[in-house]
Amino acid sequence: MSAEDNDYSEFMGKGKARERTFETEIPIGFVHSALLEPYRTRYFVEDEIVKDCEIEMDPAYRGIERILEGMPVDRANIITERICGICSNGHLWNSVRTAEAGLNIEIPKAAQAIRVLAEELERIHSHLIFIAHACEVLGHETFAYRSFLMREPVMQILYMISGNRVNYAIPVLGGVRPRTQIAQWKGKAILEAMDKLDANLKKFIERFLADIMVMSRLKGVGVCDKRTAIKYHAVGPTARASGIDFDWRIKMPEYKDFDWDMVVLDEGDNAARVKTRALECLVSARIARQAVEKAMGDSDVLNRDWQLGSMAIQHSYIEVPRGELYHSYRLDDQGRIRHYIVRTPTVTNLATMEVVCVGDQLTDAVVTLATCDPCLTCCNRFVVIDERGRERSMTLQDLRRGGS
Amino acid sequence: MKALARKRAIHVMLVYTGGCNGCDIEVVAAVYSPIHDLEQYNVMLTWNPREADILLVTGPVTKKIAPALKAIYDAIPEPKVVAAVGACAINGNVYKNLGGDLGPSTEIAGPVENIIPVDARVPGCPPRPEDIIAAAAAAIKILSGRSD
Repeated sequence: MSAEDNDYSEFMGKGKARERTFETEIPIGFVHSALLEPYRTRYFVEDEIVKDCEIEMDPAYRGIERILEGMPVDRANIITERICGICSNGHLWNSVRTAEAGLNIEIPKAAQAIRVLAEELERIHSHLIFIAHACEVLGHETFAYRSFLMREPVMQILYMISGNRVNYAIPVLGGVRPRTQIAQWKGKAILEAMDKLDANLKKFIERFLADIMVMSRLKGVGVCDKRTAIKYHAVGPTARASGIDFDWRIKMPEYKDFDWDMVVLDEGDNAARVKTRALECLVSARIARQAVEKAMGDSDVLNRDWQLGSMAIQHSYIEVPRGELYHSYRLDDQGRIRHYIVRTPTVTNLATMEVVCVGDQLTDAVVTLATCDPCLTCCNRFVVIDERGRERSMTLQDLRRGGS
Repeated sequence: MKALARKRAIHVMLVYTGGCNGCDIEVVAAVYSPIHDLEQYNVMLTWNPREADILLVTGPVTKKIAPALKAIYDAIPEPKVVAAVGACAINGNVYKNLGGDLGPSTEIAGPVENIIPVDARVPGCPPRPEDIIAAAAAAIKILSGRSD
């Protein structure tokens, strides 16, 4: 295929055409105190009111799909874990799940429960980081430290199960790594820790929602109604805070035996987005407790009775802390990866927030962006190469213009 | 006097250069989390390079962020210490060293020592908060040796 076949000229070099000039432009990033991760936001401001916003997500592009092309599948799975340091289990699980669905590998029940346990613990710690980050951006450090304090026991549980605090490497093809099986004493320790966490979380949420200072900054700001959320395809808690009752967990067979319910709020403002995540922590704790009871004491966690072979293109969706995660690839005769595609939730969530923050005060707009829980490391995965071989990431505007 | 004053208020700046975020969260957890709490040793996290004494760099330094990292390093006043945190910052980890048919990633300008001189290295993927605290302690030692 020659370069002429791909005519990307309509996307190139335009960015967001400025139809009108604005009073002030406030660029934030790549490295900035309000952003933990490198991305650049350009706020176009008139009289402290954000009139327009543009987000650039280039700097974290590492080309992981390119690394994975032609790699043996078991090795590639471990590398997908390095896509993101917060939802590492989500990426690994989905990558493994894709191959398992294509190769018809059966997974022991205890292994399934351990995967769910890891994912739910990850959801709790991710949401607590989110709350801490949102409170820090708000300027309320006490709540941020509280949140970090509650998160630490969860990290210690994950460390106890897997031996690492971030890259757990729990799922492998055919089950989970045998080291991660839940022995009786481990299960008891986890259940005890979950009880404490539950009590602390409930107290925290009560205080957080009753706090006048915090709520005055969050309530009624950055309202994303249901139509906007559907139009820009918000996913996960960001969508559920705007009244969209969808969660991939209701479709996943792994969650069939669990008793849980979805958190859906209708307000769609910043307060709702924080509240959704806070309440989801409680739901996740409930699922995690059931998962421990299912997996406790069961040592049959790995099915080695399968063969690697070619596989047609397989799609797999799971619910990670930030929303829907999509992995897809096919395997050739030698079991090597071809055409790995990853689509992460932040791509659409951030695009939604880019629209929603228009009309806010500048200080609130930063919070609005933070409340969609942006995770740029996994988000940045799209490069256009033009005829002259120049590389350039596509901005959200390009995608929107090309997509709609 | 100068050394004493400096020892009492060490400012750490964290620069994230395109890794997976795991190390950053661990650094932030080491400084902020009340369990590890690096702030009790008068080590503060800052975002202003002119205020910083120790530069913690995480991630494999993508080409896009390399000039920014250089600029931040230049903006930090002497004496300064650079610590590379995590496997990516030390040797590029999976992005620099592994690859399928097309080879490893071409977007990486790092590891960190290709761009700025590195004084301390914290291995691990990611390093534990305890290791990061140990690194900060080591960096303070280097720092007090450098101050005239």
